[in-house]
Amino acid sequence: MILISCPHCGPRNASEFRYAGEASARPDPNATTPEEWRAYLYTKSNPAGWTTEKWFHGTGCRRYFTVERHTITNEVRETRLPTARLEGSS
Amino acid sequence: MSRGALKTGKRMRLGRQPGEVLDRGRQFVFTWNGEKYPAFGGDTIVSALAAAGERIFSRSFKYHRPRGLLTASFLDPGCNVQVGDEPNVRGAHRKVEPHMAASAQNAWPSLRFDVKSANRYLGRFLPPGFYYKTFMEPRRLWPFYEKVLQRFAGGGKASPDAPHGYYDKRYAHPDVVVGGGGPAGMAAAVAAAEAGARVMLVEEEHETGGHLRWGDEEDLAALGGLREEVARNSSIEVMTDSVVTGRYDDNWISVAQRGLSHVEERLIKARAKVLVAAPGLIERPYVFEGNDLPGVILSTAARRLINLYAVKPGERAVVLTANAAGDATIDDLERAGVEVARIEDARNGGDIVRVRGGKSVREVECGDGARIECDLVVTATGWTAPTSLLNMAGDRPVYSPRAARFFPTELPEDGVLATGGLAGDGSLDELLVHARATGKEAARRAARIGAALRAGIPQTVDAEETPDDSPVPVPELPVHEHPELFRGRTHGIVDYSEDVSSKDLVAAVKEGYDSSELAKRYTTATMGPTQGKLETVNAVAVVAEATGRSMEKTGTTTWRPPYAPITLGALAGRNFEPVRHSPMQPWHERNGAELMVAGTWIRPDHYGDPEAEVRNVRKNVGVIDVTPLGKLDLRGPDVPELLNLLYVNKWSDLKVGKVRYGVMCAEDGVILDDGVNGRLGPEHYLMTTTSSGAANVLEWIEDWLQTYRPDWRIHVTPVTDAYASINIAGPNSRELLSQIADGVDLSAESFPYMNVRTGIVAGVEGCFMWRIGFTGELSYEIHVPAAYGLYAWETLLERGADLGIKPFGVEAQRILRLEKGHFIVGQDTDALTQGFGAGISWAIKLDKEDFVGKPELMWQGERDGYFRLVGLQPHDGSVVPPEASQIVEGKTIAGRITSSRFSPTLGRSICLGFVAPHLTTPGTKVIVQLPDGERIPASVTPHHAHYDPEGTRQRG
Amino acid sequence: MIRGFISRNGARNGYRKPARYSAFGLFRRGFSGAEWPQAWRSHDLKSSYEAVVIGAGVHGLATAYYLAKEHGVTDVAVLDKGYVGGGASGRNTAIIRSNYLTPEGVRFYDRSVKLYENLSAELNFNVMFSQRGHLTLAHNDGAVRTMRWRAEVNKLEGIDSEVIGPAEIKALVPFMDTSERARYPILGALYHPPGGIIRHDAVVWGYARGADAHGVHIHQNTEVTGIDVKNGRVQGVRTNRGGIATSRVVNCTAGYSSLISAFAGVRIPIGTFPLQAAVTERVKPFLHPVVVSGTLHVYVSQTDRGELVFGASVDPFTSYSTRGSLEFTEGLAGHVLELMPSLSKLRLLRQWAGLCDMTPDYSPIMGITPVEGFYIDVGWGTWGFKAGPVSGEAMAELVATGKTPEIIETFDLARFPEGRLVGEKGAAAVGH
Repeated sequence: MILISCPHCGPRNASEFRYAGEASARPDPNATTPEEWRAYLYTKSNPAGWTTEKWFHGTGCRRYFTVERHTITNEVRETRLPTARLEGSS
Repeated sequence: MSRGALKTGKRMRLGRQPGEVLDRGRQFVFTWNGEKYPAFGGDTIVSALAAAGERIFSRSFKYHRPRGLLTASFLDPGCNVQVGDEPNVRGAHRKVEPHMAASAQNAWPSLRFDVKSANRYLGRFLPPGFYYKTFMEPRRLWPFYEKVLQRFAGGGKASPDAPHGYYDKRYAHPDVVVGGGGPAGMAAAVAAAEAGARVMLVEEEHETGGHLRWGDEEDLAALGGLREEVARNSSIEVMTDSVVTGRYDDNWISVAQRGLSHVEERLIKARAKVLVAAPGLIERPYVFEGNDLPGVILSTAARRLINLYAVKPGERAVVLTANAAGDATIDDLERAGVEVARIEDARNGGDIVRVRGGKSVREVECGDGARIECDLVVTATGWTAPTSLLNMAGDRPVYSPRAARFFPTELPEDGVLATGGLAGDGSLDELLVHARATGKEAARRAARIGAALRAGIPQTVDAEETPDDSPVPVPELPVHEHPELFRGRTHGIVDYSEDVSSKDLVAAVKEGYDSSELAKRYTTATMGPTQGKLETVNAVAVVAEATGRSMEKTGTTTWRPPYAPITLGALAGRNFEPVRHSPMQPWHERNGAELMVAGTWIRPDHYGDPEAEVRNVRKNVGVIDVTPLGKLDLRGPDVPELLNLLYVNKWSDLKVGKVRYGVMCAEDGVILDDGVNGRLGPEHYLMTTTSSGAANVLEWIEDWLQTYRPDWRIHVTPVTDAYASINIAGPNSRELLSQIADGVDLSAESFPYMNVRTGIVAGVEGCFMWRIGFTGELSYEIHVPAAYGLYAWETLLERGADLGIKPFGVEAQRILRLEKGHFIVGQDTDALTQGFGAGISWAIKLDKEDFVGKPELMWQGERDGYFRLVGLQPHDGSVVPPEASQIVEGKTIAGRITSSRFSPTLGRSICLGFVAPHLTTPGTKVIVQLPDGERIPASVTPHHAHYDPEGTRQRG
Repeated sequence: MIRGFISRNGARNGYRKPARYSAFGLFRRGFSGAEWPQAWRSHDLKSSYEAVVIGAGVHGLATAYYLAKEHGVTDVAVLDKGYVGGGASGRNTAIIRSNYLTPEGVRFYDRSVKLYENLSAELNFNVMFSQRGHLTLAHNDGAVRTMRWRAEVNKLEGIDSEVIGPAEIKALVPFMDTSERARYPILGALYHPPGGIIRHDAVVWGYARGADAHGVHIHQNTEVTGIDVKNGRVQGVRTNRGGIATSRVVNCTAGYSSLISAFAGVRIPIGTFPLQAAVTERVKPFLHPVVVSGTLHVYVSQTDRGELVFGASVDPFTSYSTRGSLEFTEGLAGHVLELMPSLSKLRLLRQWAGLCDMTPDYSPIMGITPVEGFYIDVGWGTWGFKAGPVSGEAMAELVATGKTPEIIETFDLARFPEGRLVGEKGAAAVGH
């Protein structure tokens, strides 16, 4: 059971949170093409290594925040408050 | 000897031993295979039987060879027995209780005369994996072959009537968990506690002490001292008959605690700062022909039997020893009156070639060719390090040819340490020095880790001082030489539980299954109840030998949790599955409601006759408890922006007091949820969602507000449980409401359809009243503060008696809404239904700047090939096609029925369903295939609504 | 046998008939003490092959087998960074069925079931396919509706599936709690008699032996470290044992398929999640059909040896860790005991995990990519093992002929940019 450090609440059991997906930049819906939009919806980097993603502290402060986690060791090196629809993915 | 009399057999019980765990003051009787045996308090099932002279406790898995005790510990592979309705009880660990009924698991008709032992003569024809090479043809006989194979499935018996029993769980936050209560574990625990740590000491056996318990006088004295030290430290919690079953990410430790009087087994989940692994060493069997005969035992088994249980293991013994523990065993045997007929010292070239016997040891052939008659063979050929918990922490063990065992390498994790036999050898004093230093260091690290965790919690209190950070020096332990003894000169059993011999492993390697993993999977070695602890190293040695590679290169298979078997009951604990009721639930239960499970809610499906409920709504007035409806309170100047973003329709022009229906889509255009929103004030809205979607919609909104437009000034509060919600529907609903409502003008002109008002209901202030449709009748939905819900409900029923009021449930509501053609998200739409497919094009405002789902909906609007939701009328109104019946064109599927009921209002069946684009024109005939294969015609109706499509009744 | 492609350099690595497995063979060698020959051989890595398959699991080995046997393409290398069948093929819970939701899905998985039914005879290796029946329990109205949907689609495709009620369920599984007392009472189930379980390692070994007999080279402990692409076409593969020149590469990996695809410059819409499983100690056989509950997210079966095998849904977040978690076994045990409360004293013996590549529509991604000569057979989520034979057959045909077989057309990579997702969401999640 990994520990995740919520920026508001500190280190808590992962079961208090919900994983909300890999970070990705939302294209301008009025200036996009079907290929670009669907790449945003479906394609992932899915790295075996450090990734930037979104988590939600459901049974805690109920805030979304950004996490940098290593997908092999599950080490979390940083958690921070979200920026508006993050630029790019790692 | 008659069956009623006590079986005394050959008395193998010795006089009082200095370290015995028996309570001779407590004598009682238990049964084994239906016969009575005596026991003392403290005896295990097998020690009591061994004291009575019994030697055979089971038959092996495949070949049904007779098996006796080997290790006399939890791990003993031949000692799994059935006790009552509990299968696979570890007979050499479980304490006997008065009247306990134990029986053998794998023999028929009896342990002595097992018919399936004929298998042993077929051994050469039934190598491992023989079933891969045969039973293939004819194919239709495979089920029969399978039944034959299943007859030989070993193990105990599960019973369908076994009671669940009481199991619970506990959370703990110790600074240090010490896995193993032998001398090293105890010393480490004491040192950690003295350095200020809260310690949990976990020991698998019934007492602490490890190998000291069956040692000599000095050992027993040291044991006494250590136990005293542990007892003196109140910050050490000691758990015996318990085992650390797993070390998971971030030192999440699981402990199975047994031996509690009122709990079958308890699962402890501990977020430990530091884990100290001190499991000691497990003695390894030697592989030779006949090594599984009853009477061949390990030296630790002999010493346990003699010193702990006062049982003489045999009369005349041959001993193969390669280490000091083996030498000490010889002394114990002689003290117990066993004639030691021959000592083979493996350090001087001694060896055992093979052992002969029928049901028990009869004769040993030694390395020099001598044949010795005896009934007992004791081996002390080496130790296996149970590195499993360290492996779970990421360690990869490495084989040391010098010590003939595996050692942990660099422990990668700050929070995991090892001491005792895992870390090295040495005298008792040397081991204790290492353990104490390890314990002290564990406490130091725990303090540091604790401080770091606390520093991660945002707080206004000043950060604490970082504790002293100089590591405690832990002296290295010596590693003694030990002869590498795995397999002798003949082939014997490697995995006792799986009946896999060294010959089997060699054959597997020769056939190409030449790595540890492949050989294990092919032969099933290490996959049995002993989890590899007794057999993995021997298996690796045999595979290494057969491939010509070194043991280091061969490596071991991956150690997987749990470290020791743990019951499903303990893992499950008590079943905490919350249930949600509305405040009116007591009334429903008292008044004949048939209840249904709706997600986490329990609510009334109907009150006896749903069709009558429907008719009453259309004729008089009905009331339904709709409290589970999702409700969100939205406040702030930017609420219309949010609504515009999340719904497909427009909201900026919604005036105070007005209500609008909306549909939410996801970014792929798929319909997510729907509901009505009402504007209660200039900056105050109330959103409703489907009851099953309430939680998801709330998180959806929070996501957009927090990560997309944190600049919007909006507060969202879930109020689903804050209000009891009641829908009053029917021609008499206005009349009824006027009798209990105050402060609101209910006339049709002042309170038209799709409006919301705040007022007093049944004397309760702060209630909302909505005029919305769903049933298609004149109706009001009232939201009453939940504490008054039951009162308001009962008041309505009382006042409505003259108006023909009756309650109605979910089923009646389903029929009513279907008559009106209202779709239900998730039933009449699925995970691929994009907006235009559900017939809501009137709501989709593509000219909005941005809303969730806009791009996909735009593209959907430009193409045509998607299925559409339409109303369907079966030609034969008496046939109600089951929901999900398929609409077919020849053999092709062209749609399906999504909702279907008999309409009491119209006197015929009515449906909603999806059809292919070329079938959507009203009047089109489609074919519906019923589950029994019959095909019936139905027509596409002009509207989704079958009844009052213009909606005149609800707008009145 | 369709021979659409004759290997270019005419080299025939040589078909070597494997020693026949049979009861008579066991008897004969039992007497004489003679050893059985190796099931598959070791080879040096050649510097070029006609085709390279990445991944020696059931998909990769089946592809190689059918390439050689059906299409005469025998100059094939199958590469695996570990041992044969050590990935998802060795970690799944071996459930075979075809009771899917969409007609394309049903046809696809049913072709696999038919191949499995004949596989022991075809490969002369007993894969122990036990068609003992498969139950998917429904605990609420919506689930019953979905079961009815699946049953109707199945029947239209000629597959044996039907919705049954609690009394029939109890007769099939006497240990099941079908009473109203349960927290989520069972309302019905989808019963699929042809479904069952199989010995997954045997399928892998059987295909390996069969492919080897046809001259395919199986290279274990050979890790792919790069794929060379020039002008939009595959030129070769780089490994830790050297480079291989080739014009055809098939990605048959699970768990690392994003990485392998990225070597070729191809991005795929998957997220990798661990899927955990566990076994108990042996008890005498008492559970005949495979039992799955979508609501409780759990499935249970019992092997011929007597162990109960459990599984549930994928872990809640992406990871490449196969370490396993405690919360998985806790949730699992809780749900198993809700279904069969009398099993509380049974002990869990071992838990493990494999890696599942989850796609947005619970369906695989098969076929061509924008890189010529680079084919993918990925995105197998929790529905991969049952599809081994049909995937191998279809991918072999594609690689040999260059034409995508109709049976896998709906699983193309292009469906994502074109918005044509497959509608299997209702069937795959936790059905195995």
